[in-house]
Amino acid sequence: MLSLILIVLASIFFTGIIIRTKSIASGRKGPGILQPIKDVIRLFKKGAVYSNTTSFVFQIAPTIYFASVVMAMLMVPFGQSKGLISFNGDFIFFAYVLALGKFFSIIGAMDTGSSFEGMGASREALYSMFAEPAFFVLMGSFALLTGHTSFQEIFSTLHIGSYLSYALATLATFVLVMLAMIENSRMPIDDPKTHLELTMIHEVMILDNCGFDLGLILSAGYIKFAIYGALIINLFIGMVPYEYAIAAFFVIQILMAISIGLIESFIARFRMSHNTQFIFTLTSVSLLIFFGVLMILGKIV
Amino acid sequence: MIHVILITFLITLFYMAIANRMLTYIKILAFQGLLLFVIVFIQLNEINTINLILILLETIVFKSLAVPIFLNFILKRNKITREAEPFVPNFVSLIITTVIIVFTILLVNSINDPYLDKIFFIVALSTLFTGVYIIVSRRKILTHVMGYLVIENGVFILSLAVGSEMTMLVNIGIMLDIFVSVLVLGIFMNRIGNTFEEMSVDNLTNLKD
Repeated sequence: MLSLILIVLASIFFTGIIIRTKSIASGRKGPGILQPIKDVIRLFKKGAVYSNTTSFVFQIAPTIYFASVVMAMLMVPFGQSKGLISFNGDFIFFAYVLALGKFFSIIGAMDTGSSFEGMGASREALYSMFAEPAFFVLMGSFALLTGHTSFQEIFSTLHIGSYLSYALATLATFVLVMLAMIENSRMPIDDPKTHLELTMIHEVMILDNCGFDLGLILSAGYIKFAIYGALIINLFIGMVPYEYAIAAFFVIQILMAISIGLIESFIARFRMSHNTQFIFTLTSVSLLIFFGVLMILGKIV
Repeated sequence: MIHVILITFLITLFYMAIANRMLTYIKILAFQGLLLFVIVFIQLNEINTINLILILLETIVFKSLAVPIFLNFILKRNKITREAEPFVPNFVSLIITTVIIVFTILLVNSINDPYLDKIFFIVALSTLFTGVYIIVSRRKILTHVMGYLVIENGVFILSLAVGSEMTMLVNIGIMLDIFVSVLVLGIFMNRIGNTFEEMSVDNLTNLKD
């Protein structure tokens, strides 16, 4: 329950901080931190216009996408306190419920019949396909390390003791940050600022959505960022008491938002053809984590 | 601590597999030299001053400063294009490097030898194999030199794997290797660069006696 409240709170200001950091880095004042949420509220007040060529799939897709993200949010624990839903093997459910949402946003984009949206959908599918092994190898190695299979048990028994486990936690943080960037189609993979259809990935998929549906998709994106931030924080706050852990939560979320803003300000987007190899690097790094865990357990070497 | 640095070393190999520009390769090589010095400094229990100076000379001065600066000089002087131009896509390189590392881990894990430090052995072997792979998969002569330098780094770690003492003879041997290979190939390349415009291995097949 605690994690739910914290994630919702974090998602309110997260994207605002990113946008503000980017504005300041480029020498502008920028919109207020709550502007993205105000935009979403404005969109929620509007109705939706549907193209004649689309079917019911296009109409239900944003709702299912939003619902899947909310479902995933319910499963994220916070330190000792469980998420609302918690069972053995819930990290697999987490990954696949997000994948279900992504699947619906993909077929929703395909349903419009626009060639650009089809292209964006195919790219999104390709990148998620490459990002998936990284997440599973990562969570699988932590499950192996702790001997538990649910998020809450994994994170609460994860002790960071030796130098090696510090290294593994750092690598895991790197992988999770990059996964968050891929899932949300942010800078190194996709540039949310560009509005050239040929280079967009996520933005091009939601070109035909408007009003209420667009609001749902945008707010799902904000929540997704906060979910990944919460996962990263969970790596470090296994046994920490709540008052420090909650403070650490907000500090790390804000730091992460600022660093994402800085990354987006100073790094250019990768070439489309280089994205797959970049994403596969995450899988390689996760494999290193896996072997590091085997090394800690004494199963190897 | 030593494990952290060895893992960092493996990650530099991944980075090398997907690096695009020649300058990135040079930077990675310099960084690897720095890592090697830290590894030696932590790993060697008893180290006499002469040996330490020799290792310092080899890792920091040679691998991290002299060789990168010299390679950079060659790049500038011969106006070599910035891209590495591999034969295979970088994505395939990355997969092959990953497979090499996983295979090495599995291979080394089956060895039962109490005198062998297996983590060092894993890193050494995978660095060797990756170096060989970089040599066969890149088009430019300069990248061949770099692959060779990666192999040298592997040999350096291998000498740590078999004992906690770094023999001076091995050191001097490696140093001579680097010196000769880089210097000779560098001068060789400068000579070629004066004659031909483009420098790729493909031109070597056209050589006749």
